[in-house]
Amino acid sequence: MKSGFDSPRPHQLGPLIRKAALAALVAAAALTGLRAFTMQDLLSDAKMTPKRFAGRFADFEFEFNPYVQDPDVFLQRQRGDCADYAIMADYVLKRKQFETRIIRVALVGTLAHDVCYVTQVKAYLDYNNRVYFKNLERSGRSLREIAEKVAASFDANWTSVSVYTFDYGEGIKHLTLTVVKTDPPSEDADSASPGPAK
Amino acid sequence: MKDKTIGRILAFFLLISAVLAVVAVDSVRNINRSVASSDWVNHTHAVILEANGVASAAQAGNAAALTYLITGEARSQAQARDALSDMFEHLEVAKALTRNEPSQHAQVLRLETLVNQRAEFLRSAMADAKSNRPEAERAYVASDAIGASAGEIQRAVEKLTEEEMALLADRDRASYIQAQTTRWTVGSGVALDVLLLGGVAWLIWTDIEVRRRAAAALREANELLETKVRERTAELASANEHLTTENFERRWANQALEHQVRYNELIIDSINDLVFVLTKSLNISRLNPAVVRLTGFEAEELINHPFPLFARITTAGGAPLADPLSRALIEGHDLRDQRAIVTDKRGREIPVSLALFPLRDRDKVVGGVAILQVLRESS
Repeated sequence: MKSGFDSPRPHQLGPLIRKAALAALVAAAALTGLRAFTMQDLLSDAKMTPKRFAGRFADFEFEFNPYVQDPDVFLQRQRGDCADYAIMADYVLKRKQFETRIIRVALVGTLAHDVCYVTQVKAYLDYNNRVYFKNLERSGRSLREIAEKVAASFDANWTSVSVYTFDYGEGIKHLTLTVVKTDPPSEDADSASPGPAK
Repeated sequence: MKDKTIGRILAFFLLISAVLAVVAVDSVRNINRSVASSDWVNHTHAVILEANGVASAAQAGNAAALTYLITGEARSQAQARDALSDMFEHLEVAKALTRNEPSQHAQVLRLETLVNQRAEFLRSAMADAKSNRPEAERAYVASDAIGASAGEIQRAVEKLTEEEMALLADRDRASYIQAQTTRWTVGSGVALDVLLLGGVAWLIWTDIEVRRRAAAALREANELLETKVRERTAELASANEHLTTENFERRWANQALEHQVRYNELIIDSINDLVFVLTKSLNISRLNPAVVRLTGFEAEELINHPFPLFARITTAGGAPLADPLSRALIEGHDLRDQRAIVTDKRGREIPVSLALFPLRDRDKVVGGVAILQVLRESS
């Protein structure tokens, strides 16, 4: 085949490929390094909002862990699950004067799913919904409404929904409120909360 | 008939719609009940899951704590802490799930007591282990002997699970019955609607059949009528043809008659003798032109006047004879060669020879024809 360029000879192919692969790895590492951020970066961001927070996690990957990861490990590895994300959102946004709640929805047939509800924006942050432009899911503030919405995103039924707190230092989840689906809605613990439900 | 059928069909459709509405409403209600039953089944599974989660976390906590007591590794201590956290999380959810079920809730509270005892013991054992690990290890082993062990927690969980399984069976049965009811309702509704639709179809078919029969009868009547019209038309055509022929014949007969009359008149008018047609009472009803020429009278002056005033029969001597004309007509015989005198308009007397012939209609004398021939010696 005629060509205006010199084709590399067979004995030269191996080193060329090796060099190209190395360059790609260096570039990827450099890019990853540029995108990595720390808890301090999040806390020092003066313009931090729920949407901005979610946008920072667009490149994170899913990895289930039986227990909550240390925040620095989570940010460094950029891998984690819904609990890691919801707990961190609660931790950061609370310090930015947002009213937040970590909510755990027990779904039928799957593990529970955790989200962080932010009262001011009437929406919750969901680790499954962080990569899209619309990275906040709007919902009413009652636990029942949030549970319905979360369960609908899984095409599943829910059995109970709980609010819990978590302290990175203590490392223990404290359930503060639980609503059971089969209980009458009028008996929900959060039904007497001030303001409209939606 | 037509209105009745439409009314019946509308009534059927109303009934079908009503059945559909009832089935739809009842089905939606049953579906809601089924969803509620399903929620209860899920709820029961969730209680079992959380109870087993408590047992699993308790076992994991025990294992991690024992490992810590033996090895003193901080990692094991952290694992024990996480397991206990997990255990309490499951316990809290289980409590919430059973709060409206007194029997199950009582069991969960008992489980909570056991779990709290166990957690307190593990925490104190791990705290003691920091200063005197072998002592803590011995205390851990002794604790299993005095109760509140992981085994006891496991038994409590099993008992709770057993009760929940019984509840699950009840709720699953309720769910099954709901599903069966829904099936029965939908099936019955559909069957009823099919029957009603069959009724509608039968009504429509019957109506169509009646209409078809009526149309056939109408067609037959029309055909009969057309046949009769054809026959009548043929008769009329035949009669018309006959009449036309008859008309022609009549016209020809009339023409012949007129021709004959004209010919007769021509004959009579051509005769130079005086010809009179008389009634039975001897009044002049007709006369020929020779009379006008000879006497100078117009026909109107003579017609309907007595003939004897115009012509007088005389004897050979010239004396008038007493009414032989009337007698001849009464007796019905001819009268010939009678001498008579006619006076014209100027008063001249003209001698004539008179002949009278009775005029018969079906052998009955209805008048007479008088012919007057002027005698030579007079003219």
